[in-house]
Amino acid sequence: MIDILQLIIDSPFLQRAIIATVLVAIVAAASGTFLVFRGLSFMASGVAHAALGGTALGIFLQDSGLIPWFDPILGALLFSVLVAVFTGYAGESGITQKMEVAVGVSFALSMSLAVFLMYYIPPYRVPQIWGYLIGDILLLNNIDVIMLASTSVLLGFITLMFNKEFVYVSVDMEGSVAHGMNARAYHYLMLIVSALAIALATKAVGAILVYAIMVAPAAASNELVKSVSGVILSVFLIALVAELVGIATSFVVYVSPSAIAGILAALSYLLALQIKRMRERVHVDLPDSKTESNDPTDTFIESLSTNEGHEHHHDH
Amino acid sequence: MTTEPLLLAQNLAVRYPNGELALHNVTFQIKSPSFMAIIGPNGSGKSTLLKTFLGLIHPFRGCIKVNGLDSVKESGKIRKMVRYVPQRDQIELTVPMKVKDIVLMGRLLKKMPPRFASSNDIRIARNALEQVNMIDLWDRPFPELSGGQRQRVLVARALASEGSILVLDEPLAGTDAESQDQIVEALGRYHKENDVSIIMVTHDLNPVHTLVQDVLLLKNTVIGTGAPCSVMDPELMKRVYGPTARIVEYAGHRYCMTRDSGIDRHD
Repeated sequence: MIDILQLIIDSPFLQRAIIATVLVAIVAAASGTFLVFRGLSFMASGVAHAALGGTALGIFLQDSGLIPWFDPILGALLFSVLVAVFTGYAGESGITQKMEVAVGVSFALSMSLAVFLMYYIPPYRVPQIWGYLIGDILLLNNIDVIMLASTSVLLGFITLMFNKEFVYVSVDMEGSVAHGMNARAYHYLMLIVSALAIALATKAVGAILVYAIMVAPAAASNELVKSVSGVILSVFLIALVAELVGIATSFVVYVSPSAIAGILAALSYLLALQIKRMRERVHVDLPDSKTESNDPTDTFIESLSTNEGHEHHHDH
Repeated sequence: MTTEPLLLAQNLAVRYPNGELALHNVTFQIKSPSFMAIIGPNGSGKSTLLKTFLGLIHPFRGCIKVNGLDSVKESGKIRKMVRYVPQRDQIELTVPMKVKDIVLMGRLLKKMPPRFASSNDIRIARNALEQVNMIDLWDRPFPELSGGQRQRVLVARALASEGSILVLDEPLAGTDAESQDQIVEALGRYHKENDVSIIMVTHDLNPVHTLVQDVLLLKNTVIGTGAPCSVMDPELMKRVYGPTARIVEYAGHRYCMTRDSGIDRHD
């Protein structure tokens, strides 16, 4: 135990990784949960890949000398917000399918743009773009952690303030509007803040892991946990444990921490499905055996009484 | 405020999102307060009319006013006085809401963020659930309820809320007999005991016939308005529901039998 603490104190990169782990778990709990509630889990992937396209554009603008001050991260943030706005616009009526299509289109567009620009970027900078795909939590610098921390805190604060509104928009958009809530504003707020946080988390852990951490724990928790706050907490814990185990494993075995974390997160969903199925099996068995033991005449009498109910209604 | 009509439509025309005309030449007036039913077959524009006066859809021509407030320019004020029960399938079941969360929504939607439920809110919400005989399910997950039970919870949400107009979109569709009776009873009682107007869209007037004061019969335009028995006219009914519609007299009231009536009770 002391050895581990000593190791953490001695290695700043490990400290940064652990802080980032907690922050990414916060992002997953705050935004992954609500994306899954809205049936929009694919948006995490769309935004992460848009960030990649934005980075490519940033590098191109910087390197070609068109806009020398344009940091690639600005491109990533800009693109992710564009995806959120585009998705939000498609889904203003509250129809999830339309939003999924919008995410798919922006995903394709930003990846195509990234590939297009790669031909005009000096080869030594191309790995920076791919870094957004794979990511490495052990290679973060201080600026990365500070930026991720500030958006995570903002996202956490907004979620604390407006979680009821986000839930209401997800559950009953039309009813919320009719009761006088500005559902459209919350709809966009939720998507844009989530997108910013996901873009920065992508820089930290890579697009593929962001998708795994953002979606799988939320989907797993939503199968088993029966309250909104319970789901949020459970997502945070699953995401945190998966990432920490990933980092720990990478010290023992030669393996990418992100890969382990992603696999664990995905397994949590499979496990949740299995547990749910086992629970349901118990549920179904009980009433079945009850009806079997019943006398068939009971069923007959029951059916007569429901018929009477119908006739009574028609008389009215 | 009572001098203003509950609903006043002048030459209203509304299009569906796909551009097709849902309503045209709609002109009518309903006095306030009222228990009003908007009836007509499927696709006759009932729900569209309701969404138009809530300001969710903008008219293509003409205007509609709720208590004298224009549906487009003053939708904010209208929504302050409205409590709305959407069609049941509008409610997304992927979110782990409990019955109490849904009913409290009615209270909290009328508040400002961070919308905390006070003990008073909880008392009113519990009382509303008692009205529809669902209080035992207070802590149950909403998505696990039957269709009829979910509908009752949604009605309770509206009863728990505040505002002088209750708007319900097909609250009896696809409900079991027990739920239907509970809902009708609760609405009747609530209307009698409180100073509220109720506007209900329904494809089957019969279950609420004796409660309703005004009926608006729609088939993309106004076919008839008036008291339930005067709208239940054989000629009008045949025009709307086709030649199979029949009028049945029972206990001094006239009821309409179409192939639609009671169909929901069989599922």
